[in-house]
Amino acid sequence: MILTGNKIIEEVKSGKIEIAPFDKKRITTNSYDLSLGDTLIRYKTGVIDPKQKTPHEEIKIPADGLVLQAGEFVLGHSKERIGSDFYVPLIHGKSGTARMGLFVHVTADLIDIGSHGVTTFQLYTTLPIRLHAGMLIAQVSFWVPFGDIVLYKGKYQNSTGPRPSMTYKDFKYDIFKKN
Amino acid sequence: MILTGSKIKEEVKNGNITIKPFSFGQVNPNSYNYRLGSTLKIFEKFDGSKSFFKEIKIPEKGYILEPQKMYLATTKEIIGSLQYAMSLIGRSSMGRYGLFLQCSANLGHTTSKHKWTLEIVAAIPIKLYPGMIIGQVSFWRNFGSVKKYKGRYGFLNHPQESFAPLSKQKNYDTNRK
Repeated sequence: MILTGNKIIEEVKSGKIEIAPFDKKRITTNSYDLSLGDTLIRYKTGVIDPKQKTPHEEIKIPADGLVLQAGEFVLGHSKERIGSDFYVPLIHGKSGTARMGLFVHVTADLIDIGSHGVTTFQLYTTLPIRLHAGMLIAQVSFWVPFGDIVLYKGKYQNSTGPRPSMTYKDFKYDIFKKN
Repeated sequence: MILTGSKIKEEVKNGNITIKPFSFGQVNPNSYNYRLGSTLKIFEKFDGSKSFFKEIKIPEKGYILEPQKMYLATTKEIIGSLQYAMSLIGRSSMGRYGLFLQCSANLGHTTSKHKWTLEIVAAIPIKLYPGMIIGQVSFWRNFGSVKKYKGRYGFLNHPQESFAPLSKQKNYDTNRK
């Protein structure tokens, strides 16, 4: 079951959903619109090796915006801190930005229950696009879980900006083990 | 409703969800992390109606994917459920590298059970290792009675390219019996 916009407002008020800052005007029928924060991350390496820490640079989006070329990939972040210990959030593009050829995630739309922080956008564009800080770029929906809840305690908790991948940390915990 | 990690464990025990091999350490708060199988198909050419792929074993030292190219692989695990619908996606740590694990076809049909074919596209060059944890699958409760899946893909265990050109054949529907 997916929450309606009215239910999202109710649960933000009751504290079961965190969206901060929260602006009622951004509620849609089944979601809440997220805006793009002002920091982007670009990897600085020829080939990503998930076993290694990947060097990256941070870019501030200038006042007149920043153009991404078709095929470019950068990480961005929501201005809003989001999360819930009671519902499962899912990230979607806004149809307006999708019509410009922009992916806001790369098949990883699911957020763990109990994960709180600004969300990292995986920005991949199929057409040239000018990104502006503050633009409404994505939306978050909330879904009812079934079963006992164990909250997220992972490595991306309490993010305050875009977070590059940290698979090199998993390496210690056997993600490459050939079981 | 989406199943929590605790519920996924419970239903694996009850036999209502199949994940083989299954490891408790790969259970997330509301999904299960799957691993990459060892076979990779690399797109080679398109002859006007069909795409051709070359099949390789992913070496232990890794294989570098080129951006904007299309690859097929599978999950290492056999994944399925008689009771729940599934959504198979990438994990956020791989999405943060720009790795697509499917091309907008995340939905897994209730009653299908197999090693899922992954439709892999890399936004930037990336090295993949066989057996690495690469994506996540979530399970969703159904609303309504379940009609058994009779498609052609849901029981295959190798990376399967599209059967789509067959749809031009007039007996296409009988292929789905």
